[in-house]
Amino acid sequence: MRPSFVIAAALAAFASPALAQDAYVVGITAALTGPPASTYAPAIEALRIYLDRVNAAGGVNGKKITLVIQDDSAEPSKAAANAKKLLTQDNAVLMINASLSSTYAPVVNEAKNAGVPLLFAASVCPKDVYPPAAEGQFCTTAFASTFDSRAALSFIKETAKEPVKIGFSAMAIPLSRGEIDFAESQAPALGMTAVDKEIIPPPTADYTPFATKIKDAGANWVFSWAPWVTQVRTFEALRRLGWTGDYLTWAHLEAEGELKRIKDDRLFVIGANSLFDDNLPIQKDIADAAKAAGAKYPPEQMTEGWVAGMVIEAALKGAGWPATSAKVQASMVNLKVDLKGLRGGPIEWTKENHFRTKQYYRVYRWDGAKTAVMKDWFAYDVK
Amino acid sequence: MQLAVNIIVLSAIYALIACGYVLIYRVSRVLNLAHGELMMLGAYLLLATASSFGGHPVIAIGAAIGLSLLVGVMVYLFLMRKMTGEMVLAAVLTTVALGILLRGLMVLIWSAQQQYPGQALGAANPALVLPGGGRISTFAALLVVTTVLVYAGLFVFLRFGRWGVRMRAAGQNPLLAAQRGINLHAVYALAWGLSTLTGSLAGMLIALDSGLTNTMVVIGLKAFPAALVGGLDSLAGALIGALIIGAAEVLSIQYIDPLLSDVVPFLVLIVMLVLRPWGLLGTREELDRV
Repeated sequence: MRPSFVIAAALAAFASPALAQDAYVVGITAALTGPPASTYAPAIEALRIYLDRVNAAGGVNGKKITLVIQDDSAEPSKAAANAKKLLTQDNAVLMINASLSSTYAPVVNEAKNAGVPLLFAASVCPKDVYPPAAEGQFCTTAFASTFDSRAALSFIKETAKEPVKIGFSAMAIPLSRGEIDFAESQAPALGMTAVDKEIIPPPTADYTPFATKIKDAGANWVFSWAPWVTQVRTFEALRRLGWTGDYLTWAHLEAEGELKRIKDDRLFVIGANSLFDDNLPIQKDIADAAKAAGAKYPPEQMTEGWVAGMVIEAALKGAGWPATSAKVQASMVNLKVDLKGLRGGPIEWTKENHFRTKQYYRVYRWDGAKTAVMKDWFAYDVK
Repeated sequence: MQLAVNIIVLSAIYALIACGYVLIYRVSRVLNLAHGELMMLGAYLLLATASSFGGHPVIAIGAAIGLSLLVGVMVYLFLMRKMTGEMVLAAVLTTVALGILLRGLMVLIWSAQQQYPGQALGAANPALVLPGGGRISTFAALLVVTTVLVYAGLFVFLRFGRWGVRMRAAGQNPLLAAQRGINLHAVYALAWGLSTLTGSLAGMLIALDSGLTNTMVVIGLKAFPAALVGGLDSLAGALIGALIIGAAEVLSIQYIDPLLSDVVPFLVLIVMLVLRPWGLLGTREELDRV
């Protein structure tokens, strides 16, 4: 973590409301430390770099954006205290949650009471952002319950050259379990035989016992939707056991670096973000900005934060100045942001839909020299 | 065959971690609740030395081992020594605070992302095929061998080594040991050094086998029931306790429900605490004293 990041967080703790009177104040409660920090900390670093760039270019509507970042260590009690402080002391006009789903309830309550819109960025989108969306909750995060499994199973069905005997792997947390249970329930309708499902406690000293069961069950495909550590360690344990099947897993922030490390052409990642081997101009921008800022995390882990930054900039621009939380919310329910190829389509919010109107997916794998597109963008309508 | 391999590997992990709990408790009656963090620190130290001496794995590993020993000694000299004469509870709470501090520092220094010391060292981790068809990764095999060597070394050291005998004496009766001219601070510092070293070895080998994240600290806690089941002041007990916990965990994954693997170690622990609170090979009067 950069010293400036720490200092900013520390200063934020003592910042008076007056400090932020002449700027848009955006408050964040995020799991910057604690076991799941690897999922959230890179996104928040990217968001900070993005908004620093916006400020350096003159801000939004001629005003700077003050980002007040509070670490909640993925603990609900800390998240609640953070939200209260950000909303009542810092007078944030927009709240962001980038933490475990267990922190949602207290943060949602605080935001609702204060009448401030709440954006979930890098953290899983709650049901309330899907149509018909609850007032005041929005989400930019790539992954989406049930849609991801539908897309994954559809890819497996298209790709498999023989009857699919599928094994599943999840982490023993509600979200991951729920998604894998859903995938398991969908498999038979697609002509697949579900042969095993491993719900793996976090963290586990050795993944081999779980992998042994999947292999012994005779799976020729495995689908895993869990935090990256569970996904990749199950895969590597399977390979060490001599398993030669195909493995499809969610393309978390770490996916691109990991595909390059593992170099296995039967490890597929499905996701909603472009990987950096696509060499898009915006990805070059991100890489340059990360380098200039001395970022702790690699640029390929910054897409989620960058997308959130683009959306926040657009929302604040639409709110005008002076900004109130009501104006920001009004701007967010009528928002369309071109993500310049970072995803298959724009983030588009309406009064009824605070997720996106279409969810795009792409599948990548290691092709022997780089990460390559295995299946190009395909989309599902979100209604 | 694979089932047996899985049990041995998991038991070896727990045994290597658990002996650190035992070493400190046996000598100073302090329960080191920062052991998981010290184990993780050892793994991060390997990452640091691997980055510095990438082309020389032996130097990198040697440096990480040396640093781990030094960290343990320093923890005693600059922190735990101040607890001498205080209530045991105060010392235990100090280790809790140390653990929180270390966790935060490690995220600040090495970030939260998954790291691979093996990659930094340029070390591959191919699977070895055993007679009978079982498979084990190279670093998992190395972990099993290391556990055997560490326990054998500690048994010899404690029974025949001059400092080992002093450690036992300090553990049995510190007042008498001090009156006989044994430097208690040196003995305690050595115990902390050895405990951190063995925990770090576990951390390094786990990280080399499957990568390193800040969740490793919880694995340190999962080894705690092994030490308690075996008896907190018995090295042989820790070995047996680790085997029981490892077997219970793997068998529950294989035959009952993978989810149970998280709670089975603690179920075994509860059963042991009800039937024999001092553990399989622990000393009863130690418990009475507590």
